[in-house]
Amino acid sequence: MTAPLAFEGVPLGGRGSQPVTLEVPARETVALLGDEDSGIGRLGGYALGLDQPPAGRALVFGTEISRLPERERLAFRRRVGYLPAGDALLQNLSLRDNVALPLRFGSAATTREIEGRVNVMLAAVRVAAVGGSRPARANEEECRRAAFARAMAFDPALLILEQPFDGLTARTAAELLEFARGGESAEGARRAILITGQELPGLLLPRIERVYRVSRAGAVERETA
Amino acid sequence: MTDPLSRLGGSTARRLSRLGALARFGFGALRSLGTLPAAGRSVALRVTLNQIRFTAGQAVGLIVLLSGILSFLVISQAVRELGRIGATDLIGTLIVVVIVRELGPLITALAIAGRSGTAIASELATNRVMGEVRALEAMGIDPRQYLVLPRLGACLVSVFVLLVVFDVVAVVAGFAAASFNGMTGARYAEIVLQSLSARDVWLTVAKALAFGLIVGLVPSWFGLSVRRASTEIPVAASRATVTAIVGIFLCAALFG
Repeated sequence: MTAPLAFEGVPLGGRGSQPVTLEVPARETVALLGDEDSGIGRLGGYALGLDQPPAGRALVFGTEISRLPERERLAFRRRVGYLPAGDALLQNLSLRDNVALPLRFGSAATTREIEGRVNVMLAAVRVAAVGGSRPARANEEECRRAAFARAMAFDPALLILEQPFDGLTARTAAELLEFARGGESAEGARRAILITGQELPGLLLPRIERVYRVSRAGAVERETA
Repeated sequence: MTDPLSRLGGSTARRLSRLGALARFGFGALRSLGTLPAAGRSVALRVTLNQIRFTAGQAVGLIVLLSGILSFLVISQAVRELGRIGATDLIGTLIVVVIVRELGPLITALAIAGRSGTAIASELATNRVMGEVRALEAMGIDPRQYLVLPRLGACLVSVFVLLVVFDVVAVVAGFAAASFNGMTGARYAEIVLQSLSARDVWLTVAKALAFGLIVGLVPSWFGLSVRRASTEIPVAASRATVTAIVGIFLCAALFG
């Protein structure tokens, strides 16, 4: 079975970095940790075809998104939930409109269906009460919760989360990770997730199947529990 | 001898290449209209109306002021000077050709380029620097649909509406100036209407559309061309405004 996300021989770009080969299997959560200058922040862009890796390739559901024609590239990205570092919520939209935006531009759903879906998502991440606020008026945790909801607007099978838990308490991080995994079954979580960041709260580790760390030499090594 | 020539050639090639990129950007934005889903259309319409409120609604006072003063001064002087040689009939040509057809579109477009063009370029450049454009692309949203199309549509509508305001105020101010200098209202109306032809009307409309396209497209292109640094924002805004102004003048010359 094709892994939802795979990097084949992709250099992270840091000094002396070695090409990284890494898979995020279906229903598993994989964390890749490293310093800010390790280059792990580039992987999301490579996977989504926003940037071209200097070598190797990034495959999403077996497809190299950056090689698709523009319109198909945009459509393919809707199969992936992406939470960029710093949230990147649109500042002139309310949290509710931020969550609704991908659905409004990327689906044939009616306004009523979209409103229904957004209500469910906002309630699930517990920001329904502040949904009408713009990001500048909401606190960091509320913005992050809304960014999670936006990343999962299309109910994707794959999520790429960049520094998703920075600035959050371990308890909030655990709650959001549970939400992102989408429930458990005998086979594992509902979604495959790649998390990149510098550190993870220890409370999350039981829920993460594999943790890798980028060493100072640029090599990716698996951490054992 | 070859060096200056090759430099000139290189510079011309670069400018033409940029013009080609701008044209591709414009066509891409217009083509993306066809793939907008219904819910996206309503969002784009809301953004367009907001932009019209800023670009046209809040600029009406400025346009009325510019048009009123310009027309009053020109017609006052003309009535006096042309009256000496018994050629007051030429006031009609002056109003229709010089003010309504030539200066009206030009001044309106320049005012909007200076006011809204700078704002559009700065806003889109900020969106880019804050990572919002990248986030849109990552979510599968074409930034041209959400960011460019509404502003382009708003500029087209705004330039046209403000041009109508400019021309109406110019004719009324011209009448005030003519009356002030002893010409009757009936006589003024007669010579203005005599000078007005269908060609003047469609040329004015065509200019409004062309200038609206420039004012909407050029700042959007410069705004989205920035990379990551916030220091690029004022540079993009300045270059966008200057390029739009040059584009408007060149376009006006082509119409001439």
